Amino acid sequence: MARKNTARKTLKLAPVLDLNEATALHEKLLALKGSSVEIDASAVERIGALCTQVLMAGARSWKEDQSSFTFSQVSDAFIKTTQLVGVDIAPLMAKET
Amino acid sequence: MDMNEIKEIFFQECEEQLAELESGLLKLNDGDRDPETVNAVFRAVHSIKGGAGAFGLDDLVSFAHVFETTLDCVRSNRLEPTQDVLKVMLRSADVLADLTNAARDGGSVDGARSRQLITELEALANGELPQPAAEAVKAAPVAEAPRPAVNEEGFQPVAFSFDEFEASEPPTIEPSTFEIVFKPKSELYSKGNDATLLLRDLSRLGEMSIHCDMDELPALDRMNPEAAYFSWKISLKTDKGEDAIRAVFEFAEWDCELDVALAGDASAGAGEELPMQPVPFDLSLLDEEAPAAVAEDEDQSAEQPRDLNDAAVSAAATASNILQMAQTAARAPAETAKTAGPAPVTAAQAAGQQGASAATPTIRVDLDRVDRLINLVGELVINQAMLSQSVIENDTNGTSSINMGLEELQQLTREIQDSVMAIRAQPVKPVFQRMSRIVREIADMTGKSVRLVTEGENTEVDKTVIDKLAEPLTHMIRNAVDHGLETPEKRVAAGKNPEGTVRLTAKHRSGRIVIELADDGAGINREKVRQKAIDNDLIAADANLSDEETDNLIFHAGFSTADKISDISGRGVGMDVVKRSIQALGGRINISSRPGQGSIFTMSLPLTLAVLDGMVVTVANQTLVVPLTAIVETLQPEASAIHSFGASQRLISIRNSFCPLVDVGRILNFRATQANPVEGVALLVESEGGGQRALMVDAIQGQRQVVIKSLEANYTHVPGIAAATILGDGRVALILDVDAIVAASRGQSLKPEMTLAAAG
Amino acid sequence: MKKRVLTVDDSRTIRNMLLVTLNNAGFETIQAEDGVEGLEVLESANPDVIVTDINMPRLDGFGFIEGVRKNDRYRAVPILVLTTESDAEKKNRARQAGATGWIVKPFDPTKLIDAIERVTA
Repeated sequence: MARKNTARKTLKLAPVLDLNEATALHEKLLALKGSSVEIDASAVERIGALCTQVLMAGARSWKEDQSSFTFSQVSDAFIKTTQLVGVDIAPLMAKET
Repeated sequence: MDMNEIKEIFFQECEEQLAELESGLLKLNDGDRDPETVNAVFRAVHSIKGGAGAFGLDDLVSFAHVFETTLDCVRSNRLEPTQDVLKVMLRSADVLADLTNAARDGGSVDGARSRQLITELEALANGELPQPAAEAVKAAPVAEAPRPAVNEEGFQPVAFSFDEFEASEPPTIEPSTFEIVFKPKSELYSKGNDATLLLRDLSRLGEMSIHCDMDELPALDRMNPEAAYFSWKISLKTDKGEDAIRAVFEFAEWDCELDVALAGDASAGAGEELPMQPVPFDLSLLDEEAPAAVAEDEDQSAEQPRDLNDAAVSAAATASNILQMAQTAARAPAETAKTAGPAPVTAAQAAGQQGASAATPTIRVDLDRVDRLINLVGELVINQAMLSQSVIENDTNGTSSINMGLEELQQLTREIQDSVMAIRAQPVKPVFQRMSRIVREIADMTGKSVRLVTEGENTEVDKTVIDKLAEPLTHMIRNAVDHGLETPEKRVAAGKNPEGTVRLTAKHRSGRIVIELADDGAGINREKVRQKAIDNDLIAADANLSDEETDNLIFHAGFSTADKISDISGRGVGMDVVKRSIQALGGRINISSRPGQGSIFTMSLPLTLAVLDGMVVTVANQTLVVPLTAIVETLQPEASAIHSFGASQRLISIRNSFCPLVDVGRILNFRATQANPVEGVALLVESEGGGQRALMVDAIQGQRQVVIKSLEANYTHVPGIAAATILGDGRVALILDVDAIVAASRGQSLKPEMTLAAAG
Repeated sequence: MKKRVLTVDDSRTIRNMLLVTLNNAGFETIQAEDGVEGLEVLESANPDVIVTDINMPRLDGFGFIEGVRKNDRYRAVPILVLTTESDAEKKNRARQAGATGWIVKPFDPTKLIDAIERVTA
């Protein structure tokens, strides 16, 4: 369902997004620059502040590039953690889901 | 596992640590300056303190704490471990051992002594030089040293109990709103912490709104994914107070900027300028993986630690867990999964041990289990012997395959027996280590300066032998220091080092353990010994004795060479007692002495008490076993060598000396009349006090190794009989107690009513 | 899934206390006896959190923590230091080595579990 647009890429987040994953996630996002991206956070069990930072930096960069950066699916843990740390992802939720 | 078991482990560990402590201190005393030696000593005391604290053993904790503090000074090179310093430390190690024993067995300790040492240790830690030992001892009773305030240095023992799971009630304060600014540094993340976790804990304190400041977040391609960019402004309404808030950040204190302030009453604080996002109360999902459910009720228990009882895993979960762990622990036995109760612990241990196997290839086994195995192997040996014998009796063809198989079985059985014995074999080290304390104490009491050198501490011998070794060894050490070594003045006068040396060595020699105790003292004063022996009617005034024979006179009962009985080795106990206890272990003891150069005591002991080399003999149709170690020689008496005197006493002349003849059958009441010596065999034995006796038996069947079976354990003590064994033909044979028989021959009769029972 | 705790302590007494406390609280416990062994079993233990002593033979707690922090896979694992020393110097050294937090011995079960909960998700 995420393949309506050929330029749109999907990034599936790992279940555990800790210190180690921050660098990996950073690299994955950088590699996707220029394309619209849809983040699948449905498998996320744990997300630390560092990965949240990377995602938010990504959202900003995409916005500057005027590309689309959305979350297609999110797990409960993902929603609750972002709420906890005061990061509002509602504006980034994919409209069609 | 419950607390008592852990406590038992603790005391076992204390013993090991105390041994470690002592050997480390002795190494330092010998000039070893390896930092690892100092560390090991420090760790030993530290470890005892740690465990003692957990069990609320306050005396032990406070002494260990002072000791540790002083050792820390050595460790950090603030205190030079001179001999004087080490003297204090060695004595402290002794007191620590006493305190440990008192904590375990409920005994009491010399309070004045430990207080004195606490004062001395504290003085050392404060950079004061130790007083000479003599003055220190005198100073002991003077001041009631202040009990060390345990809390002084922030160390507060808290009794450990598994029941104490309730958290202390946080002070209830009127709910107030705090404004918190939290800005983590990158270090916070690199140390495995996470702002998310801190915010989670914070949210549990009350109602929280949060604003995440992302201003510092750079563009994706310019960011360091592991650097901290976010900071937070939090508004928290809680009744737990500021301390509870700061407690959340306890671990993060150095790795973040934190500002906690009470919000202004006007509630027109800066918070309103920012879009604050309320944090939902139900965060349970974040705890999905937590082993215990958080009690997130409306009541004020949000901070309360999780109810650990809830963590009790359901039976089904446990079962699957065990299976899982059993798979992990490749070698975990299948039974583990079947056993119900302690299985999770066992499996977890197994898993842990599997990982640890490379480092520690040892296991701890109950001694009972080993003993049972040794007993069973003993039965196996007997059974094998019986089987062999009956095959030989029924099989005329000696080359049959059965015979060959039996030989192999015999070989295997012997190997199994040796291997099983090796399980119980332990190094003599712990006994040797105990001796160094004995040496210190006697050296202090006698004013002598002594150095104990030990060698071959890792020589192994059966645990049962080790356990019985300490007493005679202690006595011999006392004797060596008290009687063997001269005073420092005399030594200097003799051109010797004022410090005497006592050397304790152990080694294996032809299937036995040989322990030597050598001193570099004056040696045995043979003139004095000889005179004393004459005075005590031990020898004739004109007796012609070799030096060796003279030296061995000190093993005679009631013999003491010290001019006056001293408090140390006197005590009415002579070397005869030492000799007897060594012999009771199936051992022999010898002395050789060189005037002016010292004496060497040599003990030779069997490696195990479970088997014995014996001579199988017949007495009045009964089969008896005489321990081979007791037998000097065997001879066939000739009528001309037998001399009677008195009503029933007889002597046998052997190479121009007379030796009392002891009729074993008569003494054990196997027969009513005396046997004719010419028809039997005489076994020349050495017994208690070094005297020789000729034991009369009817015939010798042969020599063999027998498995010792305790009569006391299976029947009852029988006078004159040390134990029993089962021979290859299935007959029970009694093992003779040579000392008791010889004593009985001197008129100390065995209880007659018991003797028949013994024969039956 | 149970959380896995790796404990590193040379004292058999403390190891047993940790084992009982952690097992009672529903953790899976893996134990090592010193820093060297702790690093050796790190992979197989795959811990969610580590509890370590400071004074140990072969490799002390500081060295062990540094070792874990250098391990690419496990550098993010929270490490709690068990120590009788409550003085700032020890804590500081442990923190500099990369410790996440600390528990002052003699620990009581509540404090131990509480500290573990605080540093784990």
